[in-house]
Amino acid sequence: MSAGAGLGLRSVAPYGSGMGTEPTPLHRAPSDPDDAEVARRFSAGDEQALAWAYERWAGQVHGMAVRAFGPGPDAEDVTQQTFIAAWTGRAGYAAGQGPLPGWLVGICRHKIADTWARRDRQRRSADAAADDARSRPPGSGSVEVDSVVADRVLLLGELNRLGQPQRSIIELAFFDDLTHAQISARTGIPLGTVKSHIRRTLERLRNRLEADGAALQP
Amino acid sequence: MPHCSPEQLALAALHEELPADDAAHLAACAQCREEVASLQRAVDALAVPSMAAPGPAVPPPARVWDAIAAATGATTAPRPEFVPAEAVPAEAVPAEDSGADVVPFRRRARPARRWLTVAAALLVGGVVGAGAVAVVRGQDEGALVAQTALAPLDDDGSAGRAEVREQATGRVLAVDLDAPELDDGYYEVWLLQSDAQRMVQVGVVQRGATVLPLPDGIDLGAYPLVDVSVEPLDGVPTHSGVSVARGELET
Repeated sequence: MSAGAGLGLRSVAPYGSGMGTEPTPLHRAPSDPDDAEVARRFSAGDEQALAWAYERWAGQVHGMAVRAFGPGPDAEDVTQQTFIAAWTGRAGYAAGQGPLPGWLVGICRHKIADTWARRDRQRRSADAAADDARSRPPGSGSVEVDSVVADRVLLLGELNRLGQPQRSIIELAFFDDLTHAQISARTGIPLGTVKSHIRRTLERLRNRLEADGAALQP
Repeated sequence: MPHCSPEQLALAALHEELPADDAAHLAACAQCREEVASLQRAVDALAVPSMAAPGPAVPPPARVWDAIAAATGATTAPRPEFVPAEAVPAEAVPAEDSGADVVPFRRRARPARRWLTVAAALLVGGVVGAGAVAVVRGQDEGALVAQTALAPLDDDGSAGRAEVREQATGRVLAVDLDAPELDDGYYEVWLLQSDAQRMVQVGVVQRGATVLPLPDGIDLGAYPLVDVSVEPLDGVPTHSGVSVARGELET
């Protein structure tokens, strides 16, 4: 085998590629439809569009999952569950949801958060069993970690309930790590509007945590 | 000075840099700092690497589609040439070895930026050095056991050369790497099985020459691929999935 040939193909995705950036040409034949058409046919239940979506975006979705869990069964499960949930929930994907890859990334985020929460519950059961065995006070040490994991699931649910452009703005701040000035430049929304949306959204998330979050419980 | 505006405090909660006046006030005002802290809980829970927008793509193994097809009843499969499978060594590391579950609980001021930095370095960074040279220099370079050129896996141009030599203290892997400087993150070298399903971590490599001891008893016939990856400084001990150069050892 010649060195590297056929192995290790990868692409460094453009920054913010979850927001609908065009995939690399590798994932598409010239005769294939564009992303918008794939999205339309996906939501209409055309099975071919599921395969196209997988060709174009499974690498990005799986890349996220691997980043969260390392390569292996958990990451594979997240990728698999993301596409299954997207397909079975395709009726919930409408034009207002933005580009299909961004929607898939959002689902992937939920699956990652759910998997953290599940792992965490398992670890707590194991810890509790160990605590019992050692006659120690239960749960020592992991309260903070538990609460952050639970909060994440709660907050992602709250993000789903945001309208636009609030949701895109806060996602660019949280997940694309953009400053408010960069968000304004990217979206064309005036600086002052971006700032007030950020403020109101953070307040809303704070209220949600105060009502239902684990982190603020004494 | 009056209190910071609610909008500025929200930006502070997002770890944005404030204008000097606001920053000075915030440093001195417990009330404003408390407000920032209360807004920051959501930021700290969500603005973490595992939630960040996609970075490097990692092709899933074929069994992932098989499971999707089984669950959805889909009969139209993705074309394998458009979903390059078993391409990335990251596929190979058993999850139980992964330390990844410590990552999201760290509080990072700007969690996603490191991915941008690595990507940017890969895309635009200059390539230092030129040409393959003998990797090990000096008296005790040892007998050459195996060697390979390291070919770039992407357009960042990382390349180099690797040699296995038998020295008095045991076998070493000598790597000479021409690669872009990384602002954040580092290069690491691995030995992979030829199907990229198992790997052994050899160590951190610098640009230029690095000589690392090999584990005693490792069978180079079973692990013939030398793989150089870019690793973020995230404390995760497994392969990042971002390989930049690779070669197959020839004896």
